[in-house]
Amino acid sequence: MSATRITFVVFVGLSLVAALVLSVAPLPDFMQTARPLWLALMLSYWVFELPYNFKISLAWVFGLAQDVLYGTYFGFHALFLAFVVYAVLSFQQRLKMFPQWQQAIFLMLIYSIGQIFLLWLNALAGNHTLVSQYILPALVSGLLWPWVYMIMRLLRKLVQL
Amino acid sequence: MVAILSVLLMVIDANFSTLKPVRSTAGLVLTPLYWVAELPVRAFDNLNQVFTSRTEILTENEKLRAETLLIKRRLQKLALLTEQNLRLRELLNSSALFEEQVLAAELLGVDPNPQIHKMVIDKGSQHGVYLGQPVLDARGVVGQVVEVMPFSARVLLMTDATHSLPVQVTRNGLRAIASGTGNPDIIELRYITDVADIKEGDLLITSGMGQRFPAGYPVAVVTNVVRGTGQPFATVQAVPMAALNRSRYFLLVFGEGHNPQSEAHAEQLNDSEQNKTTKDMQKLEAPTKKTKQEQTEVSGAEQ
Repeated sequence: MSATRITFVVFVGLSLVAALVLSVAPLPDFMQTARPLWLALMLSYWVFELPYNFKISLAWVFGLAQDVLYGTYFGFHALFLAFVVYAVLSFQQRLKMFPQWQQAIFLMLIYSIGQIFLLWLNALAGNHTLVSQYILPALVSGLLWPWVYMIMRLLRKLVQL
Repeated sequence: MVAILSVLLMVIDANFSTLKPVRSTAGLVLTPLYWVAELPVRAFDNLNQVFTSRTEILTENEKLRAETLLIKRRLQKLALLTEQNLRLRELLNSSALFEEQVLAAELLGVDPNPQIHKMVIDKGSQHGVYLGQPVLDARGVVGQVVEVMPFSARVLLMTDATHSLPVQVTRNGLRAIASGTGNPDIIELRYITDVADIKEGDLLITSGMGQRFPAGYPVAVVTNVVRGTGQPFATVQAVPMAALNRSRYFLLVFGEGHNPQSEAHAEQLNDSEQNKTTKDMQKLEAPTKKTKQEQTEVSGAEQ
């Protein structure tokens, strides 16, 4: 493995772990219902930028990690993230052509569909849930997309990838 | 492919316990992330401590000292009452009180989903924590352990919609079941008949039924009783005693047959059982003398 390849793997790993940490970071109560889907955002970024270097299975493995952190059944978030990555991968060529605000809206849609799956699974698991609590994070994540994109671009320039 | 695998995993995880060891090892690797996520909060706390002024510390010190005095005074009475209770129990030929051991634990993180009231604490199976173990804080019952990892455990709070615990009204011994509502400030008493003797301000304690929570710990205070003629049961709401969303330190209570693994952390609430019975025997012979002696001992220690 060349040096750049190693830095690349380390950088991607770190970014995803950071997303995991953010997804359990303490938030004030009113923000709790709108917690952004950090892991989904980060994975979307990587898949969007480098569609040939990433596979759905990576998203799936990180989803399992999130399941352990959240104490949900195995496969819960894994399925959600796999779906998000699959959707972004299949629309990646078209997404590239869109202006950024359209990308954001498109991602909102993808996240919302994924979140609805999560809502159903949660209801099956017997948890008491609200629909708004699943749609709000998707909307907030969509709004965050331009910033995540910009910050990741900057960071990548800094480490020269 | 991945979707099928996910569904399969979910079904297995929901119905069988084959994946428990996997989860606990993964938890071992991943719980540090909770710790990292809480770092800013911790750092802020530390900064706060560093920059509190001398006078503030002095006043706090004074306050704490006054508080310990108060607690010590209560403890003196408690020792007397425990002895009396034991003696009376012996007279009644009922079983001896079980001595509970406790272990202090610190909060690592709370569940990001606001509808699910769970938290992660920093003690796990390595410290002797077991499934279903009751968790308290300084004021009352908090919840119970639902998942054990080697160095951490997940606690289900009693305000979670899936949690219920058997309680008793201290005033008249009325038994009831307190269920969580999903609201962190309110629990509800289920199946209380319209004519039941319960009113606002009643203290609810654990009844010890169900064998999970030891009897006698405060749970909540009744705040709202609505009796409707059209309804089969009264609606009774209560506010938990424990500071469920504010406490950082908790107590794990070890039930009968369980012991904390690290003895250094564990502290017994009272003397060991044998010690007690022998003492009690002496006391039966000369009860007044002994208690007086003990009282002087305590007051001597205070000075």
